[in-house]
Amino acid sequence: MPVLFPLVVSSLLFAIGTYIVLARRHAILILMGVELMLNAVNLNLVTFDAYWHDVLDTGQSLTLFVIAVAAAEIGLGLAIVLLVFRTHQTIAVDELRELADRDQPPAVGGATT
Amino acid sequence: MTLVLLIVVPALAAAATLVAGHRSRRLVQVLGCGPAAVSWVLALVLAAQHWGSSAASTVVADPIETGGVPITPALAVDQLTASMLVLATTVALLVQVYSVAFMATDPRYPSYTALVSLFTSAMALVVAADDLFVLLIGWEVMGVCSYFLISHYWEGSPARAGAVRAFLMTRLGDLGLLFGIFVVGDAAGTYRISGVIDASLSGRVTGGQATAAALLILCGAIGKSAQFPLHSWLPDAMPGPTPISALIHAATMVAAGVYLVARLLPLFALSTVAMGVLAGIAVITMIGAACFAFAAEDLKRVLAWSTVSQLAYMFAALSLGGYGPAVLQLLAHGAFKALLFLAAGSVIKATRRQRLVELGGLRSSMPLTFVTMSVGLAALAGVPPFVGFFAKDAVIGFAMEQVSDGSVRAWFVLVATLATAVLTAAYATRVWLLVFLGTTAERDADAPPPGEPSPLMTGPLVLLAVVTTVGGVAVLRPGFLDVAAEPFDPAVLMLSLAAIAVGSLTSYLVWRRGSGRDPAELLGSVRPALERGLFFDPIVVGTVVRVVQRGSRTVAATEAAVVAPYVRGTDAAMQLTGRGLRWAHAGNVSRYLVAVVIGAVGLAVLVGVVQR
Amino acid sequence: MTVVEVLFCLLGLMAVGSAALVALSSHVVHCALWLVVTLGAVAGMYLLLAAEFVAWVQVLIYVGAVVVLLLFTLMLTRAPIGALPDLDGPGRLVSAGVAAVTAAVLVTSFAVSFRGARLSIHAEDVGTASALGTRLFDSWVLPFEVVSLLLLAALVGAIALSRHRVSR
Repeated sequence: MPVLFPLVVSSLLFAIGTYIVLARRHAILILMGVELMLNAVNLNLVTFDAYWHDVLDTGQSLTLFVIAVAAAEIGLGLAIVLLVFRTHQTIAVDELRELADRDQPPAVGGATT
Repeated sequence: MTLVLLIVVPALAAAATLVAGHRSRRLVQVLGCGPAAVSWVLALVLAAQHWGSSAASTVVADPIETGGVPITPALAVDQLTASMLVLATTVALLVQVYSVAFMATDPRYPSYTALVSLFTSAMALVVAADDLFVLLIGWEVMGVCSYFLISHYWEGSPARAGAVRAFLMTRLGDLGLLFGIFVVGDAAGTYRISGVIDASLSGRVTGGQATAAALLILCGAIGKSAQFPLHSWLPDAMPGPTPISALIHAATMVAAGVYLVARLLPLFALSTVAMGVLAGIAVITMIGAACFAFAAEDLKRVLAWSTVSQLAYMFAALSLGGYGPAVLQLLAHGAFKALLFLAAGSVIKATRRQRLVELGGLRSSMPLTFVTMSVGLAALAGVPPFVGFFAKDAVIGFAMEQVSDGSVRAWFVLVATLATAVLTAAYATRVWLLVFLGTTAERDADAPPPGEPSPLMTGPLVLLAVVTTVGGVAVLRPGFLDVAAEPFDPAVLMLSLAAIAVGSLTSYLVWRRGSGRDPAELLGSVRPALERGLFFDPIVVGTVVRVVQRGSRTVAATEAAVVAPYVRGTDAAMQLTGRGLRWAHAGNVSRYLVAVVIGAVGLAVLVGVVQR
Repeated sequence: MTVVEVLFCLLGLMAVGSAALVALSSHVVHCALWLVVTLGAVAGMYLLLAAEFVAWVQVLIYVGAVVVLLLFTLMLTRAPIGALPDLDGPGRLVSAGVAAVTAAVLVTSFAVSFRGARLSIHAEDVGTASALGTRLFDSWVLPFEVVSLLLLAALVGAIALSRHRVSR
């Protein structure tokens, strides 16, 4: 098949993943978007591995590593989300503004507005 | 080698005293007197080698490259140097011995001794230096020791003020000296003193260069030797311990200015302007200081002004080209002025009083001091056969000779020296009468019992008195500084004896008529002004100091008005930028991510476009 | 159009479509389930590209572990059942624009570079799990070991974070 097919699919998946990360307020949805982007990358890697008949199987090996890293990342990410939920009772990212640069110190614990 | 040892041993002793001096007083006394004695012996050895001849022996190290004229660490000994070394080390040794008793209860004795040892070393370096920069090193170290020793009793503000004033005035002169050395080096092509003298004698130095160099070096000399207009620091240095006044401010350091001019006399002789300036300064200082000495109330201040006046004698002789008379006066003055200061120290220690009107009648209670101080005062006044007579007559005789050759400068000098001789005799007699004769003043309740202080103090006095008495014999040796014939010229003899008679009789008569009245009351209403040095210091403050202060205030105001706003403006700009950037940190994660992605995509597009 | 191509197109449409639904859905749990579909479609695409081992690993880990974890976290954070109107933030349009630009850049660069190229799967490429395994422990053994350390670190970190007692 033309190699453009998988490449276009991966590009579209990546773009949709970007949209999810940027537009959604729910922290877990953002993590889903990140997973989508990683999948797009993996698809790209596997495509090129097949296209170039890589002797070292670089594409597939790297894909496996990316999957492992993504798993580790989502584990930690979700632990953090849980902790944030426990302290702020909300996981809408635009309500978590304590790192903003302000003159007065931000309120500790509890949600803002 | 002897020379190097002579210079190094006291310096090492100073270091050792500073390091280990706090352990025991006895150790400090040994460290003070021992190395001083060693140096003294070495100086005598050198003198024996060099006294008769005028040849010099030198010690030279490798020259230091400076990119221009090289500096050579070189030492040289000739007749003049050997004589100065003997003078310096003798007085230093006697002062160390004297100080054992004078500073017996002083808690800062170790630092005092260390500084005196260091000073001895520096003085030896100055007189033995054959390179102008080596001389400058010794010069400055001497100055440093002087400042520290003046402020020895730093609890009192006169001592601190005196030290600061000495520092400022001598350093001002030293600035001129430094530039003078540069000019000399440039003109003669070398900083070696022997080289400079050769260049001057052989005509390689032009008149203009010589004038510039001589005038600048003169600044340093008049600063160090307390001549007009840098004269007022010496009387204000009297709050220092009296042995220091004897060593530094009478016999050695202040004589270094005279030594310098004497050494470089061939250079000075090339410039009539410089010689004229020197003569003028000497004449003014001579008479002025003698008047101030006559009016002064404090014993030590009288001696200080007297030193200034006698130094002017030496400069006057030098301004006429009289190397021999000037050096003779230098050596003689060193001996009898040291004697006078040490004797004054004895008097002050015994009576706890310094003002002349509070002293009196010490002839009976302190006979040895009375005799020795009388010898010193007689030498000061120029009474034969003491060494002061030979020196003074040498100067007057030389001036008279030059007058008969038709020199106008010499005429001024002659008149001035005769006038000063009258005044000198007057104030010497005044001191003698007020301190030793007359009725005994009442003693304070806490004063020590009347009598001589320790033999460690009277011993040096006696030695110096002997030197003062028989020193004249050395003059009669033919070939010694070429002055043998002068003092016995009948005209000179008559004039000097007449001057002494006039001065001393005036004082005596005023004292006798008023039955113990201070002869200075002859001055009447002028006396307060003379006591204050004719208000020289307030005038300087009002003119020079005010201007400098106003200038510095202007500079400070400019800095606050012009420069500081720029600094503050930078701060304001930074704050504004920071506030602007802070606006981007609203805490919204989505916004951050959007910015990151936009940036990354933009970069990718840019790379793609550029790669095309 | 070969069978592989047709299958690939179908799978591609499925993946993109379900991804779009993840992006646009207003039910949180629905998003997670559509994600499962996307991941499965991608696994299918791997199979068509002769990467069987990767495909099964994808199903095992992504669909099996990651999505389960996501669902668990949704449960623990009391994700509401039902439609949420405010799931999208105010920067929706800007994000859509950025995503569109990203897609355009990527597609353009790929189209320009690989316009007429064809992917050819050789017979010997199929069934390469054993070859991949050999290769993994041969050339890629160091990253392999490092990744295992990474997983250990993530494990420890996750435990440490979740045991953290929040002071009230």
